[in-house]
Amino acid sequence: MNLNVKALLPAVMAAWLTCAMSAAAQQPAAKAADNDAFDVEQLFATTCGFCHSDGGRAAGRGPQLMDSARDDDFLRNRIKNGKNGAMPAFGTAFSDAQIDEIVKHIRSLKPRS
Amino acid sequence: MKKLSKCIALPVAVAFAATLAASSTFAQSVDTARIEAGGQNDWLTYHGSYKSHHYSPLAQINASNVSNLGVAWIHIPGRSTRGLQSMPLVADGVLYYTGSYSRTFALNGATGEVIWSYFPELDEALIARQTHSPYNRGVALGEGKVYVGTMDGRLIALDAKTGKVAWDTKLVDSQKLTVGFTGAPLYAKGTVVIGSQGGEWPGRGPIFGVDAATGKKKWEFLTVAGTDEAMKTWGNDSWRTGGGGGWMPGTYDSETNTILWGTANPAPLYDWSGNDFKTQGARPGDNLYTTSVIALDVDTGKLKSYHQELPHDAWDFDSAVGEFVMLERDGQKLVVHPNKSGFIFVYDRNLAVKNVWRLVENINFVKNIDPKTGDLIGRRDFTAGKVESPPLCPYIGGGVSWNAGSYNPKTGLYYKIGQEWCMTLEVQKTTPVTAPQVQLNIGADFKIAPPPGGEIYGHLDARDPVTGAKKWEVRFPEPPLGSVLSTAGNLVFVPDSRGVVHAYDAETGTELWNHADGTGHQGGIISYAINGKQYIALTAGFGGMLSDDYAATFGGVYKSMPRDDGALIVYSLK
Repeated sequence: MNLNVKALLPAVMAAWLTCAMSAAAQQPAAKAADNDAFDVEQLFATTCGFCHSDGGRAAGRGPQLMDSARDDDFLRNRIKNGKNGAMPAFGTAFSDAQIDEIVKHIRSLKPRS
Repeated sequence: MKKLSKCIALPVAVAFAATLAASSTFAQSVDTARIEAGGQNDWLTYHGSYKSHHYSPLAQINASNVSNLGVAWIHIPGRSTRGLQSMPLVADGVLYYTGSYSRTFALNGATGEVIWSYFPELDEALIARQTHSPYNRGVALGEGKVYVGTMDGRLIALDAKTGKVAWDTKLVDSQKLTVGFTGAPLYAKGTVVIGSQGGEWPGRGPIFGVDAATGKKKWEFLTVAGTDEAMKTWGNDSWRTGGGGGWMPGTYDSETNTILWGTANPAPLYDWSGNDFKTQGARPGDNLYTTSVIALDVDTGKLKSYHQELPHDAWDFDSAVGEFVMLERDGQKLVVHPNKSGFIFVYDRNLAVKNVWRLVENINFVKNIDPKTGDLIGRRDFTAGKVESPPLCPYIGGGVSWNAGSYNPKTGLYYKIGQEWCMTLEVQKTTPVTAPQVQLNIGADFKIAPPPGGEIYGHLDARDPVTGAKKWEVRFPEPPLGSVLSTAGNLVFVPDSRGVVHAYDAETGTELWNHADGTGHQGGIISYAINGKQYIALTAGFGGMLSDDYAATFGGVYKSMPRDDGALIVYSLK
């Protein structure tokens, strides 16, 4: 499933703002992200790429993900639960299905042309 | 959507008083006037004094005897996840510092004996979801209390004598906004000021003023669209996820009763607007008051003046560096502030630009910054796609990092670390992720790269702080990431990334002494005296958002360097 986050995030943003700090504008609640709007490539340019250089293609703050020797279960577990002091836990940010999409994306990574 | 959790645990003091063999007084008498004066035996605030000189007038340890410097004592704080980044403070013989997870210690500054310790009970599940965590950069002192921020959004005051909690104030909803406090607070005139993380985190980056006596919030200034004027600089309601923040402590100008603070970058870090950044892209407009220096009334938090160092910062070269080096030149009172880009700004006390000069060689996000006006000349605004030829310089780590340089009034020189590195990137359109919990918003994939035609390196420069004229330079194969200390003993101390602390002749740059601390440095260094004896104290311990790059980039000693360890190391003459 390759989903488009753009369609979803205005609603997501509104959901966040309901709970945001007192000085932030209050917005109506909206449902959280679902798997119909999940663009993993964009997710790397949003979040993951801060540590996984070149979209996961090179080692940086975090390890290179392209051609990882780790099996899928390891990757799923690491994304979900993190590693103390090294990687945040994303188990509450993303559903299991979304984490599966992230693992698929990691497996599909190729060097940039 | 879930209701906001009440699971932020109440603090549980594990403070305990230990027998203090030495007769010490405590920080009861630390107040604004004393910090302003910056007495030579103490180090009362993050930047040494409100002048932000990071300079000690002590000269017992000097260029002629520094070769006799040795370790007096060390302290291991434990649980140093991502190393140690704290700037120790000293008042009346007691040394206060923090480790990761805001572990706070009061130690006998002469012996290292623990007087008390305080380990706040934190929301560990939240911290496990944070990227820029769990390090802490230090405390503030004032009115008999020790103030420390936490990664779960609280500011805590501890009794300076006992370490017991005086008050504990929740300021940021970290459960939703993910960010908290890593920077040290600033105490001034009955107010404790602390700025939230922000930057690449979609939020509005608040800075808070809290009553030092009661813990009650006095004011809050939003660095993203905090005024009506600023709101107009964020097109398409992009202020809602603008980033900003002020995660390093600034300083206080007693003559004008003003807090000076540097603000962080807007989100996403990289924009795809191209040249039409005023009307197009992720956050159309100048994005006030991100990547700015701001002057706030300490009592009300009201904005008095500002200068946006990089309007519409599209490169993550923010102004969050906390140094506001105050000095006088030709009868004029000036303030020197480093921008992450590697440009150094010189202002008058109302933040009007007086000069801008380059600390680093490899800068190409602009052709120049007008030294008279501060205007950016020849901006390099990207569209979506690859940025390779040339790579963007400097790297996201900056031409300068957040740690402090040092101004020495005796030599008239400003000692500051510059970083020479670049990056390739592929700018991508992103949409901020704000539920169920805010996530980073970068706007690109990126990779570190050497400068065109050269290698990555770092350098300690000795320069005129107003003109930028260079007197000498010392190069390092990898950029040092710790703070710098200069002293009246004609010395400059640089704790480097490999784990060696160096002492240089402040006039010539000649290395006079060095010592291996066993792991990399990325925190503070200070000097103080007790009973007529001078000490140098620094934190060692590597790991964090910048040093995490070093193993992959440089290999060598960084491959085996721990990122979960650290120590406070204190030197004196043997």
